Amino acid sequence: MQRTVPSLPLAPSVKVKLLHAGFQLATDLTDMSPLQLCKAAGISQEEAVEVLQMLRCDTQSHQERAATESITALDLLHKEQAQGSIVTFSSRLDDVLGGGVPVGKTTEICGAPGIGKTQLCMQLAVDVQIPVCFGGLGGKALYIDTEGSFVVQRVADMAEAAVKHCTLLAEDTEQKQALEELTVEKVLSSFFLVRCHDYVELLAEVYLLPDFLAEHPEVRLVIIDSIAFPFRHDFEDLSQRTRLLNGLAQQLIQIATQHSVAVVLSNHMTTRLLNGQSKLVPSLGESWGHTATQRLILHWEGSKRLASLYKSPSQMEATIQYQITVQGFRDAPDKLRPTVELCAVSSLSGNHSKRPRMEDQS
Amino acid sequence: MVVLREGICPGLTEDFINALHSEDIKTVEDFVSCNPEELAQKCSLSYKALVAVRRVLLAQYTAFPVSGADLYQELLSSTAILSTGSPSLDKLLDSGLYTGEITELTGSPGSGKTQVCFSVAVNISHQLKQSVFYIDTKGGMCVNRLLQMLQTRTSNMEEQMEALQKIRVFRAFDVFSLLACLQHLRFNGLQQASVGGGSVKAVMVDSVSAVLSSMLGGKQNEVLVLCFRYVPADASCWRIEDDCKRLQHCCTGDKSRDPGWKRMFESWTWTVVEPCSSHTCTPAESGDSRGFIF
Repeated sequence: MQRTVPSLPLAPSVKVKLLHAGFQLATDLTDMSPLQLCKAAGISQEEAVEVLQMLRCDTQSHQERAATESITALDLLHKEQAQGSIVTFSSRLDDVLGGGVPVGKTTEICGAPGIGKTQLCMQLAVDVQIPVCFGGLGGKALYIDTEGSFVVQRVADMAEAAVKHCTLLAEDTEQKQALEELTVEKVLSSFFLVRCHDYVELLAEVYLLPDFLAEHPEVRLVIIDSIAFPFRHDFEDLSQRTRLLNGLAQQLIQIATQHSVAVVLSNHMTTRLLNGQSKLVPSLGESWGHTATQRLILHWEGSKRLASLYKSPSQMEATIQYQITVQGFRDAPDKLRPTVELCAVSSLSGNHSKRPRMEDQS
Repeated sequence: MVVLREGICPGLTEDFINALHSEDIKTVEDFVSCNPEELAQKCSLSYKALVAVRRVLLAQYTAFPVSGADLYQELLSSTAILSTGSPSLDKLLDSGLYTGEITELTGSPGSGKTQVCFSVAVNISHQLKQSVFYIDTKGGMCVNRLLQMLQTRTSNMEEQMEALQKIRVFRAFDVFSLLACLQHLRFNGLQQASVGGGSVKAVMVDSVSAVLSSMLGGKQNEVLVLCFRYVPADASCWRIEDDCKRLQHCCTGDKSRDPGWKRMFESWTWTVVEPCSSHTCTPAESGDSRGFIF
């Protein structure tokens, strides 16, 4: 395959010198030794060695090979159907998402403070571990926490509820066997937690993610909660922020596709003033809006919590109501009726919400 | 700038080249711009040999003029118009997508760019029975959705599978992989007939700004230059999806003060022949997606 010199991943100054010396195609360079290249193009010895190494070590790097390999839509269809999705335990939300959070794509969850983004993330981290015979993926989760809002006791509560739910569903022997292994301890131990304090640590973590996923192929879900926090403060140069975020998004979608993991990002909301009116929109700017494959916006309507699927390549836009209970993220009850057991919850299990909940009026 | 090398034309041996190098003549341009008489005196080469080599090099490397009438005939015989499947969109595009042209689709998030691409791909593969190359840079390719669209057009499973076979998906997540992919297509891929028969009639890139925006806005203008060289290629028809707001955002930020940046931006519009912008007023995000191209 012929590659032209300007399209090679080299430093711009080196490329300019190579072009001036008359090298147009990558094939012109492959037969030269470093010294010859050094003299011909006027670049330093190290640069010449780098250029030749890049060309020789694999005439095509892994990424480029992947780019030139194509797959017909038919084969891709079979692959897609084999990849599952992660249930959220809210059946309405699962319907809206087409079965759950899809594997191999990035999903962004935006919402105002206290609406339940972290709750949904923790729920997904528990749900990915549900065994395959119960309809889950039986995989592990990597939770990258940038805000410090991760609370282990809450995950333990959710795990307990999930195990109980599976116990009620278990019918045949395979399911019963899988259930024996599914305990709260196992769920908590299949959880990788990383704490990133600023954007540099986050970028480094994402950079190291492919190696991590190669070592732990059973990881099926990567959650970054939240991606907005490290980027929203302390950035003078906004165009640099845009570039970093877009580079990050591309890395994440590449990881999602190549390693078959679902990537879930949570984002904040910001106020936009337009014609004297203010509106809540997802933060990190307009260009960030293009990067996630799917976008879910959580918002309030009075005291109801609603989730809207805002952007998706395969599902229709829809809005559903949900609630947060002690068991985790669940469908809202159909009728408005006083739900006494939920009230009692808030004082007992340690209320981890950001505002006092008045569930009986929802 | 073509470097003088052994074997690019008969008569150009290593000794010949070394003799020319001693006079500091390294490229074809240097060689043909020198006077052969003077050169014969300075180097110890025969005048006849120099003239012969010069003639061959000129024949090989000069540009060949084509008359306007020939160009027109070629255009008439080779251009095809591909319907997008939606009559109103066809009307907007002057009866459809023309091969040999680039169409750019811009719009704010959730406005439907990917859906339009899907619908065009499905129309070309099912109705027109031609192949489509789809380069996905965002992970937005969802074949279930393609299948859903096909199922509304025909309930025959075989036809659906055949149409899906005509769509080839490439995945490139950064700009160098995208360039590798495009060059591979240019030099090898398009000539090969795809599995289901029929030639490749459309190449779609969804989306170009996803790979470029991590490099735009800095001091590196070379990336845009790369695009100018490779995007208007000799493929049958190119379709590029772009995220209008993102490029607009980059331009209206502090970089718009840089005049070089703005000029680069304006020249981008000239490479794109048919810009077409999709507008939506959306609930959660402001709907003023003015196409920056217009």
